[in-house]
Amino acid sequence: MEGLWTTQVGSLPKPPALAKARTDFARGKLPQTELVALEREYTKFWMDFQNELGLDIVVDAEMYRGDMATYFAETMQGMEISGLVRSYGNRYYRKPIAVGPLQRVKPFTLDWWQYAQNLTDKPVKGMITGPYTMAEWSYNNYYATQEEFVLAMAAVLHEEVADLERAGAQFIQIDEPAVSTRPEDLPLAIRAMAVVVDGISATTGTHICYGDFEAIYPKMLEIPVDVIDLEMANRDFDLLDLFKRQAPFSKKLAMGVVDVHSHVVEDKEQVKAGIYKGLDVVPADRLFIDPDCGLKTRTVDEAQAKLAVIVAAVKEVRQELGLDNA
Amino acid sequence: MISTVPGNYPKIANRPGGQALRRAISSFDRGRIAAEELAAVADSVTVEVIGEQERAGIDVITDGQVRWQDPITYVAGNLQGYEIGGLIRYFDTNTFYRQPEATSTIAWQGPFLVRDYEFARDHAAKPLKPVVTGPYSVAKLSLLGIYADLETLVMDTAKALNQEMKALAATNPVLIQVDEPAIVWHRYKDDWDIFREAMDVLMDGVDAKTVLRTDFGDATGLPDFFALPFQGFGLDMVHGKQNQTLISDFPDDRDLILGIIDARNVRMETEEAVVDSVTLVTQHVAAGRLAVSPNTGLEFLPRETAYDKLQNMVHAVKKAQEAVA
Repeated sequence: MEGLWTTQVGSLPKPPALAKARTDFARGKLPQTELVALEREYTKFWMDFQNELGLDIVVDAEMYRGDMATYFAETMQGMEISGLVRSYGNRYYRKPIAVGPLQRVKPFTLDWWQYAQNLTDKPVKGMITGPYTMAEWSYNNYYATQEEFVLAMAAVLHEEVADLERAGAQFIQIDEPAVSTRPEDLPLAIRAMAVVVDGISATTGTHICYGDFEAIYPKMLEIPVDVIDLEMANRDFDLLDLFKRQAPFSKKLAMGVVDVHSHVVEDKEQVKAGIYKGLDVVPADRLFIDPDCGLKTRTVDEAQAKLAVIVAAVKEVRQELGLDNA
Repeated sequence: MISTVPGNYPKIANRPGGQALRRAISSFDRGRIAAEELAAVADSVTVEVIGEQERAGIDVITDGQVRWQDPITYVAGNLQGYEIGGLIRYFDTNTFYRQPEATSTIAWQGPFLVRDYEFARDHAAKPLKPVVTGPYSVAKLSLLGIYADLETLVMDTAKALNQEMKALAATNPVLIQVDEPAIVWHRYKDDWDIFREAMDVLMDGVDAKTVLRTDFGDATGLPDFFALPFQGFGLDMVHGKQNQTLISDFPDDRDLILGIIDARNVRMETEEAVVDSVTLVTQHVAAGRLAVSPNTGLEFLPRETAYDKLQNMVHAVKKAQEAVA
């Protein structure tokens, strides 16, 4: 039996030179061609790192994305970007606004996925933000109801998923972090996801974080994807107890075993203990191991160290279990 | 019938030079400017947002809560006993606050809103109300820490904030607004008995006109809500649609802040829709007891949109006044 595949939730840190280039570009001090050249350079940097480390399923690292909602909104017809709004403390962001009928004018991520896939023999995961989250994290100044907005977004995102599959993506992740914030909307999120993955045969997954899982479990198992990816490390693996208490976790589980909000790099034994907790609830052939969330808020060194400890811990557990991919 | 605002106003503007406070906080965090310099910028932004509310035509304004990091931290952080911790989502919004934790007994250590209020009032041409986040919301959205149960933490917080209320009352404000969003949040309504007791503790001996404002939910299922010891109540009619069912029994001798402008979306309400909803409410509540308002603080919007929404609301209130006159 094979099992315990290693992967990532999505983003990786932008090295300081790229962060500076993005600022310079925004201020009109750097031409776009130079920014894109740097984005490609650092995508390759992360692809090389993931290859060398031996992750099973890799990501394109999202060097070209600022934020997970705005990036898609910027390239979509029918969406505009607002002035600055406060997120917390002294942090501000620009929030997308629906201003007309949504339409995809060109692929959002396909070029980057292809670029990344050409740099590795490992499967590169297609990564997009889900329709419920896109709508929830935007203003709606066009659609009569939030439901219409979400479903229109789902139709647009379906085109991207279909393109990724046609290009050869074996894994496609449609992130819905907002799903856990308003449990009563879960049925809408499920319907929207069905639109996104309609007719898709690649392995599909979704990442959900924060929030009130007590209120959405086990109903969240109805989200029509193969893999659900959840943060575990920063909540002391309490979700596993919820699964034991409430209902068996019937899908494949991608389990976060390192905390992406902490500078401290977990040690190998700690990570192994977390993996064994997961194995208590889901068998190895349905279990993926990854960080809690995207690592973009960590430094390059921290992110690399956190990924390295995951790979080292998984390797040992695979051997201890006698898995065929040990 | 008047117009008012819930509390916070966007701290930065998108025009050139509109980000003074953001820059000052960033410089302060890096140790490049002193606390006094940051405070001076906060004061000047306060004057600016007071001016904007006045220009929009709002009748009863606030200081914009320019110094507040969020609705919870500024109040908790100024009481003794709360330590400010990690980021956590604020209700179902896509904004976050730093969650306080009670690490020692909660106590009042002197007034912290009085200076803000007096400064703002002295720079305002219109009546200006101080706003206090209530003890239940502060305690409920914090971690219990050394406290064994929520009730004790809420009551200690209420005792501490009672002192702040008295200190504010001594400055003779036009009214004091107490914000308690947590009690109408659908999952917290079981705490109603604790809440009621906390409001008695909070209001004990407070000699001022007071209003209890709620948002993010409705006050249904909270028996005798309007019998709480306040002269007025604020309801969120956008995210608490069920509040409509409470209007027909609204007491004649209380004021109502009607939160009907959606401060979480940029879409402009049509004048017609606002006039219609206000007119409906005046069948049950005297126009003279009614204040029209956005449903939540304006910081969920870009500054320019917030201003446009306020202007729009003021025009609609004028129309509604004519309609019911």
